[in-house]
Amino acid sequence: MTNESTPRIAPGCRLHPTEEVLLIPEGALELAGPAREILELTDGQRTVAAIITELSAQYPDADAAEIGADVLEMLNGMEERGVVRA
Amino acid sequence: MRAPFSLIAELTHRCPLHCLYCSNPLEMQRVQDELSTEDWKRVFAQAAAMGVFHLHLTGGEPLARKDLPELIASARDAGLYVNMITSGVGLTEEKLKTLVDAGLEHLQLSFQDLDEESANHIAGTRAHAIKLALVPVLKKFKLAFTINLVVHRMNLDRLDEFIQLAEELEPDRLEIAHVQYYGWALKNRSLLMPTEEQVIRSLPIVDAARQRLKGRIHLEAVFPDYYGSFPKACVGGWGRQTMLIDPAGQALPCHSATILPGMSFDNVRERDLRWIWEFSSAFNRFRGDAWMSDTCKSCERKEKDFGGCRCQAFMLTGDVDAIDPVCMYSPHHGDLVALRVSKPDLLPIYRG
Repeated sequence: MTNESTPRIAPGCRLHPTEEVLLIPEGALELAGPAREILELTDGQRTVAAIITELSAQYPDADAAEIGADVLEMLNGMEERGVVRA
Repeated sequence: MRAPFSLIAELTHRCPLHCLYCSNPLEMQRVQDELSTEDWKRVFAQAAAMGVFHLHLTGGEPLARKDLPELIASARDAGLYVNMITSGVGLTEEKLKTLVDAGLEHLQLSFQDLDEESANHIAGTRAHAIKLALVPVLKKFKLAFTINLVVHRMNLDRLDEFIQLAEELEPDRLEIAHVQYYGWALKNRSLLMPTEEQVIRSLPIVDAARQRLKGRIHLEAVFPDYYGSFPKACVGGWGRQTMLIDPAGQALPCHSATILPGMSFDNVRERDLRWIWEFSSAFNRFRGDAWMSDTCKSCERKEKDFGGCRCQAFMLTGDVDAIDPVCMYSPHHGDLVALRVSKPDLLPIYRG
């Protein structure tokens, strides 16, 4: 996954409406920190760069480079697990 | 008390397949005793309200229920994640569209073997070609797709090719599941039990596939129970994660709990799910460690395996409270090890 990728949540995976989990086939992944906000932006339209920009605007006090690295790391991990597709 | 994560709904015991290892009870529930549409809708609403995440529609064959789209829609409306385990027999593109439109999110299809003749022999019916033909149809829909390869002595030597077949079908998930010896599988155990050599040969094949498929297909492999030294946390521990409703409405802690003597099971026609989960004698019977032998009580693994499988302990020792014989600390472990060396039966025993 790169900054230009337009990731989306894989078919058969979705955010639980009230609990902090991503429902996936045969399981639920607990969402920590801004994971839900990132996944809400992971819509197959926005690029990774756009997701990072929007998230940085939500957290103006945080280091933008750190946010970028965290977003990429999380999305890469989820892609490897098959619950996000680039 | 935390609600179960999953609710398994055995909608019917009717099924076009007659698999040699069917996990349904030997004494199946009859059509006229099946829960009504309204019963199931009430159950799904109660499950969602108590915090259940996943609903697994199974059977038998869920497609045998004419009200399946309505059931799926009610479960999704209630907030449940809807998975269906199907043989695919009778599932047309049109019918599948109805189910996906109703809210189906994940579909599981199992394959019995690589080649048609053997697969149909194991399934007791001609289903292999139907399943293969269904896969490109599934791909047209926004749906997670799992392939389940059920392995045993008759096909374990072809595991590598079997995985390649699954790989070509490009599922999101691939499960490699050794037959577990309950129901019909127990009757056919001597026919199905893999040899030790087969099991040892299969392990690097699974590891290689896991590496190769990483990021494309999520692989889950279940180790064959009888070759283990420690028991599995059956259904995630008794009354901890899973609740199963059988076609007639009995609420069970696991697929085969009805074989256990001295148990009574509440029915969703008379009680609501939360009451059954929290207060019923069946769900409380093996919670905690009060029922355990001193060996288990003082063992730190009790937090991992919760005492293993009660049905297996009963089937292999005659005592529901016994240590699961898969455990190396069980006085019966030697009997289980002896079963690993299998002698072929002449003929398989199919369910009716």
